[in-house]
Amino acid sequence: MSGSRVAAPADILISPPRQASIGFRIVASVLIIGHLWAVVGRPIEFATQGPFGTSPSATLFRDPVRAYSQFTYLDHGYAFFAPDPGPSHLVAATVTAKDGKVTELMYPDLGDQWPRLMYHRHFMLSEFLNNIYHPPGEPPPDIANNPAAVRDWRMARRRYESVRDSILECLRKQHPDCEITIRRLQHRQPGLPEFFEDRIALDDVRLVTTLLDEIEMPELPQASEALPTNAVVPMLSPNVPQVAVPRSTVPRSAVPRSTSVEEIRPIRDEAAPEDRVPVADAAEGN
Amino acid sequence: MSIGLVKTAASDWFADAISGWDRFWFTPRLPHTLGVIRIATGLMLLYSQFVIALRLGDFLGDQAWVNNATIAGLHRGDFGSSDAARSYLWNLNSPSAIWLNHIVTMAASACLAAGFLTRFTAPLAWFLQLMLVHRLTGTLFGLDQITTMLAMYLMLAPSGSVYSVDSYLRRRMVESKRTTDFKIWLFPAATPSVAANIATRLAQLHLCVIYLFGGLWKARGTTWWDGTALWFAAANAQYQSLDLTWIGRFPVIFSALTHLTVFWEVFYCALVWPKHTRPLMLAMAVAVHGGIALFLGMITFGTMMIVANAIFISPEWISKLTTPKR
Repeated sequence: MSGSRVAAPADILISPPRQASIGFRIVASVLIIGHLWAVVGRPIEFATQGPFGTSPSATLFRDPVRAYSQFTYLDHGYAFFAPDPGPSHLVAATVTAKDGKVTELMYPDLGDQWPRLMYHRHFMLSEFLNNIYHPPGEPPPDIANNPAAVRDWRMARRRYESVRDSILECLRKQHPDCEITIRRLQHRQPGLPEFFEDRIALDDVRLVTTLLDEIEMPELPQASEALPTNAVVPMLSPNVPQVAVPRSTVPRSAVPRSTSVEEIRPIRDEAAPEDRVPVADAAEGN
Repeated sequence: MSIGLVKTAASDWFADAISGWDRFWFTPRLPHTLGVIRIATGLMLLYSQFVIALRLGDFLGDQAWVNNATIAGLHRGDFGSSDAARSYLWNLNSPSAIWLNHIVTMAASACLAAGFLTRFTAPLAWFLQLMLVHRLTGTLFGLDQITTMLAMYLMLAPSGSVYSVDSYLRRRMVESKRTTDFKIWLFPAATPSVAANIATRLAQLHLCVIYLFGGLWKARGTTWWDGTALWFAAANAQYQSLDLTWIGRFPVIFSALTHLTVFWEVFYCALVWPKHTRPLMLAMAVAVHGGIALFLGMITFGTMMIVANAIFISPEWISKLTTPKR
């Protein structure tokens, strides 16, 4: 790459396409194979997770390119709207001022977060908090004698608490001198009969449940089933018109406080492996 | 005798495989398709970074939704296994430093879109975007995956040699008949190159991987099999941007579209290569991602997926399309 000036008529500047040398081809081929290895490594590992963990061969396959794929942000499972389009998870914040005035905030909220991409970032944040959720308390008896499992259990809880506390700190910065509590909500979709026969609107509060911060309860049936009776939260007050609430968000005024609803665990789809895998996967949204 | 036949067959197969690999990766290719994708990717990076800038303090720094200490702990393994994602933004607390960095990041994205000094600004735009996504863990989604991926491949090729400020500067350079080797390298001609082909092939294969695993994951669900997945996507209040719930009155249609989506995703990696099925695959991509953009509130993600699919469009065709007729 010399800096010397040369006469440069147009015809000599456009040389015919050069064929790559054999040496270049060999080196490039090795790099290409290594890169493609990294491209498929994470999806294979992610797809081969099951109730007993990840396939050992998939993990072994990915190990040599793990760091490269993580640094270059290639470590995705690509599970868009999969395995099933599940419920949304939101964060509701109650801001209580010194004079007792209470404000309910919702994340995400189309009325507050604009443009749509800003809304979606907040949506992904609330989904992230849900994905990394881990219950408090002592590890269950079946892992109590496994030090590694106990350590993982405690670290997973610390991870959730760290992100939750960071979100609380951010809210405190935005609302100084206020008392703030946050709750995780789950907003499921209505099934076809619910929507067309029972006339349950997409933003009906009966589709919203507060996810309590406690030890897991037995799982409930799939979301597409009829509305489970213990999932029903207090109805909107008759004088609160449903049309007044912003579309695509849960009506703030109707969001249940954690103390006023029956206990319910999130209805989880099979994307739950994300809960048990590193942060990059837990962060994966649609 | 039979061993000899097997040896010959194996030798022929090996030679053919090497030849095929060589043709696939090392046949020079025009940069026009990459030029179009460069503009779209640069603009989307710029827009995404602009939106972050609207509430910069909520996303970067010590008082962000996920503060610096937490984000560093998440990746360094304070709460479980560590990973290799690293970003200097974890250490940036001063608002002025954060703003300065973000302005430089946006400027690099703008240069990528404009094709200005692309040999330098394309790698810079990719690197700065990489640092940003490693800081924004928790607020990321498919848009970030696809834009970062495209930025990575665009920097490997002379994507700024066409539809760009660089191509204008090159014309000026040629007209002046005064140049240097460095300038010839800096402002490459829009001619076929192996680098453009490698970047194109990598992006094509990456897209195939995305769709294959997207489809396989869907095949693990139940609603993609019973045909109700499209309904549950349409009935998600947080995603909805235009009301698609009317489709629930037409079970045959929404279930058919559900099955078609899975079929298309799983078989994209095979059917996008033959010239007779490629237009169908790309048309499906426009329909699916156009639907996501319009109805599911992800206009940015839907748009970028359509842009990514353009990688399968022949650069010669784009060149003809964009060359004024005389």
